[in-house]
Amino acid sequence: MTNLAGVPYYILEFGDELVYFTPYTITLFLLALTFTIFVLISMPERQVDIAFGGDAYTTKVISVSEMRFRRFMAIACGLASMGAMVTGDIFNFTLFTAMVGITNVGIVAAVKSPHVQNAAYQYGLVALSATVPLFGGAAIYAAATGSLSMIELAKGALPAVPFVAKAFLVLGVIGEGMAPFYAAKAEMFRAPGAPYVIMCSLSSLLIFLRVIEVVMLG
Amino acid sequence: MIAQLILATLTGLLLLGIHRKVIARIQRRPGPPVWQEILHMLKFSFKSTWIPATASTVLFRGVVLVAIGIWTAAFFVMLTGGSLLVIFGIYMLHKIVEHGFGLSSGSPYGKFGGVRSVISAASEIPLFVSVAAIAIFTRSFDISDIVAYQQVHGPLMFIAFPAAVAMYIVILSKMPFGPFSIVESKELVSGYKTEHFGIWRAGLEVCNGLKTTVLLATFLMVFVGQLPILWLGAGMLLLVVSLSFACALTPMLSPFDSVTVQTLVTGLMLCYGAVLFIGVRA
Repeated sequence: MTNLAGVPYYILEFGDELVYFTPYTITLFLLALTFTIFVLISMPERQVDIAFGGDAYTTKVISVSEMRFRRFMAIACGLASMGAMVTGDIFNFTLFTAMVGITNVGIVAAVKSPHVQNAAYQYGLVALSATVPLFGGAAIYAAATGSLSMIELAKGALPAVPFVAKAFLVLGVIGEGMAPFYAAKAEMFRAPGAPYVIMCSLSSLLIFLRVIEVVMLG
Repeated sequence: MIAQLILATLTGLLLLGIHRKVIARIQRRPGPPVWQEILHMLKFSFKSTWIPATASTVLFRGVVLVAIGIWTAAFFVMLTGGSLLVIFGIYMLHKIVEHGFGLSSGSPYGKFGGVRSVISAASEIPLFVSVAAIAIFTRSFDISDIVAYQQVHGPLMFIAFPAAVAMYIVILSKMPFGPFSIVESKELVSGYKTEHFGIWRAGLEVCNGLKTTVLLATFLMVFVGQLPILWLGAGMLLLVVSLSFACALTPMLSPFDSVTVQTLVTGLMLCYGAVLFIGVRA
C-alpha cells in the first residue's frame, strides 16, 4: 500500500518538515481539537461515590490548584495529539506520541488517590519502555529509506521499509496505551475530572488510528 | 442530504425496534412494537430536559453533539464511497463518546459504563485486521474501489470470509442486549447513558439509529457489493434478524469473559492477517 489515507487537501511545508491534511487526518484532527476545546471551557464533574452497606454517598470535589494543573496537562495532551494527527514526518510523529504518554501521566498524577497514582505509575513505566521501540522504529525508517517524510514514502520510489521498523512503531504506540497495555490505564479512569481523563483515552485511540496509516506507507 | 440523513436515522431506529421484537419473540414474550425506538426518540425530544447538579455541563451536552456529528460524517463518507479507514476511525472513536457520556454526569453507574467501554477496546482490533485484509485484496481503502473490485472478482464475503466474520462480530458487539453489551448491562442501570434524559437522550437515540444504518450498510457494501436500494434494505433486515438470534440465544458475558472472547477473536484475526500478509509478500 503506497497511498496516503486519501488525497491531501493541503500540504504545509516548513523546509523539509511538513504537515498535511487528508480526509482521514482532518477527521482525527477535528476530534482532537473538539475535545481540547471541551477541556478549555468545561468545569470538571463532581464524581459521586456510593458507600456500600448504607444509603450514604459522597461527592468528590477537585481543588482549583489541582484543576489548573490537570487542565494544563490535558491541553498539552490535546496539542500533542493534534500534532501527531497532521504531521508528515515520522520522527515528529514519534515525538508527539511520546509527549502524549508523558501528558497522560500528568493528567492523573495530581489526583490524591492511591489507586489512581499506582495505575499512573505503572502506566508511566510501560509508556517509558515503549519509547525504545518507538524511536528505534523511526531510526530504522531513516536508516533503511534515507527519509522520514510520509509524502516521500507514499510515492513508493524509496527502498521498502523493513517489517521490523513497522512492527517497532506499532509496538511503541501500543505501549502508549492500547490493548493489552491499557489495563493500567483503565484504572486511571477512576480519577474524577471527566474532561481531562477523557483526553487519556482519546489521545491513545487517535495515535493508534494514525499509526495504522503510517505503517501502510512504504 | 438532510432527507437522506433523516431516512437513515429512522431506518436504523426501525431496525433496532425489529431487533427488540425478534429477541422478544424468540424468548416467547410479546415484545414492544417495531417502531418503539422511533417513539422513544420522539418522546425524549419533547420531555423535560435536566442536567445533574454534579455533571460537567459542557461535556455532558457536547458529547451528544459529537456523537451525532461523527456518525453523520460516517454516513456521508459511506454514501460518497469514501475511505473505509475513516469509518473505521469513527467506529473506534465512538468509544470516546461512550466514555464521555459515562464520565460527564458524575454518576457511578455512568462511570462504570464508560470504564467498561474503554476496557473492551480489544473488540475494535478485529475490525482493523478486517479492514487491512480487505485492503490487501483490493489495494485500496475507498469503498468505491472495494465495490468496483467486487464487480470484477465477486463478493468479498467469499474471498475474505474470516474478515466478514470478524466484522460481523464487531457489529454484534455494538448491538443492544448482545453478549458483549457490558457497557449498558442492567446492574449499571443503563450504563453510560443512565443520566442522559430529555433532548440529550433523543440525540443519543439519533446517534444509535445512524450508527446502526451505517454499520449494516457498510458491511453489505464491503462484503457483498453495491446493491439496489430494496435489496440493501432486505440485506440489512436479514443481518439484523441474524444478530437478534445471536443476542437472544447468548447470555450477556461478564466483563472479564467479554474481553477474553474479544481478545481471542483478535488473536485469530491477527493470525489470518499475518497469513495474508506473508502470502502477498511471497
